[in-house]
Amino acid sequence: MCSPAGDGMNINGVVIDDTFAEAFPMKATRIIITAMTRKWAYHAANAIRGFASSVIACGIEADIERELKPDQTPDGRPGIAVLLFTMSTKDLEKQAPTRVGQSVMTTATTACYAGLDSDKRIALGSHLRFFGDGYQIAKLINGRRYWRIPVMHGEFICEESTGVTGAIGGGNFLVLAKTARQGLAACEKAVAAIQPLPGVITAFPGGVVGSGSKVGSKYKFLSASTNEAYCPTLKGQVKSALTPEIGSVLEIVIDGLDEAAINAAMRAGIRAACAFGPEKGICRISAGHYGGNLGPHLFHLRALLQ
Amino acid sequence: MSVLRLAPRQAPEYRLDMSPLTPDRIAGQTLAAIKRIRLVYGGETIRVADLFTVSGRAGDHIRIEQGSGKFSGVGQGMQSGHIEIAGNVGDSVGRGMTGGSIQVTGDAGAWAGSGLAGGRIEIAGNAGDYAGAGRPGDRFGMRGGLLNIGGQAGDRAGDRMRRGIIIIRGRAGDYCASRIHAGTVIVMGRAGSYPAAGMRRGSLILAKKPARLSATFNSCGDLKIEFLRLLFTQLANMGDDLASLRQPRPTAHRFSGDLALGGKGEILLLGHD
Repeated sequence: MCSPAGDGMNINGVVIDDTFAEAFPMKATRIIITAMTRKWAYHAANAIRGFASSVIACGIEADIERELKPDQTPDGRPGIAVLLFTMSTKDLEKQAPTRVGQSVMTTATTACYAGLDSDKRIALGSHLRFFGDGYQIAKLINGRRYWRIPVMHGEFICEESTGVTGAIGGGNFLVLAKTARQGLAACEKAVAAIQPLPGVITAFPGGVVGSGSKVGSKYKFLSASTNEAYCPTLKGQVKSALTPEIGSVLEIVIDGLDEAAINAAMRAGIRAACAFGPEKGICRISAGHYGGNLGPHLFHLRALLQ
Repeated sequence: MSVLRLAPRQAPEYRLDMSPLTPDRIAGQTLAAIKRIRLVYGGETIRVADLFTVSGRAGDHIRIEQGSGKFSGVGQGMQSGHIEIAGNVGDSVGRGMTGGSIQVTGDAGAWAGSGLAGGRIEIAGNAGDYAGAGRPGDRFGMRGGLLNIGGQAGDRAGDRMRRGIIIIRGRAGDYCASRIHAGTVIVMGRAGSYPAAGMRRGSLILAKKPARLSATFNSCGDLKIEFLRLLFTQLANMGDDLASLRQPRPTAHRFSGDLALGGKGEILLLGHD
């Protein structure tokens, strides 16, 4: 059994640590991928979000935000909204066209449109148009510029640019469970609760991080390394944050377009995880932070759950 | 919203240049000052009050209560605001306009939307020759905006246009979209002879087979053109009057041309499957 909840906050008997998640500023854009069928829109969206779990090594964090019905897309076909996050506009400018070019343009029958309006914009079609080798056609419709690139499946249509906005990366909470199986069951429910919410993504595979990290390492060449205080196998070896009954810690990392979106996502996710309770092996909810030195956005667990 | 109303005292006998009366030009002026604005009428100059009863207040909306084919240059060079004409207008309605909107409930004369660079012109009836075209001496015809003609258009609609969209719900005359550099012309009725002759780039979308097609266009076959789906969906979203444009399917027979000028333009003859 989990240790009994003390006088502090608990939800359904699950202890909520008096701590906070520390998040940092990012830049984000939203793109809309459409295709002949929903299945092929998903093929493209899944390709673009592949190897995009963390900016630490992938350079970008990306995931599906939501599915769009035909009447919600620019061309009246089934679509997927994808959010892309990077540390700077320059990174986004490099990553977005590359990923759209290799993941979306190569997927049969797809088209790609901007999903975010902003004065600050980055290139999409204006870079990819050169693939048309001179046969590309620009079209201006209702103030928006599109490129028609002739390709072997027919025509790849891509909006010239997409808007960029300030965003927040690294909203998170930790689910401390007795076993990995129990922790994963709770995390799957938490991710499912976050998924319908607008403006947020959980970019890690399945929305769950199995190897949460701390900043820095004993090795100078490494910017992030294992968070040993939360590693169950090191409980007797390091200054552990875990009590004896904790056998697995899983993290859910949330990137969002603003604080309100991350607040809502953390709230929904934590409540869904806590619904399992100690009898199903969910003992504590905590959060990852770096002493408040990393970013200006602090999400205090107890405050947001009140 | 404040509306300035102009009601003609009598039908004009001569051509009247209405170009000084646009919402952005008269903004902030008193009724008395507006009445004193001078307009070229035939070979002479008259004051607004000599021909119109002026009422309301100068704002971003002008309503001409009774149109006439003698009113030329309505909305010419307009940058913002809305002009509504109950009835017909003469030549050059919205010429060189960069923003705002014009609504004509009747017919328009020649050169409607000539050199249009932005904004939107709605003509419920027919338009004369050279709609959206460039005047002699102009480098281009339309350079942006939307010209929506509910009825028929005369010859050479869109001649030398560079950007923008012309929609002709009825028939179009000969040489429709001739010499266009870019942009999009949509004809839902039948187009006359030699459409898109001399086009460099751009798209002419025809719902019906034209009377004659120039020999310098090559067939690319029957295709599903995804751009048409985007175009019609976006146009349908631009207003209730355009909602019917959601209907056409994206299948079309594509002709590339004009091969005498590089062949980078296209005629898309909509399919009916």
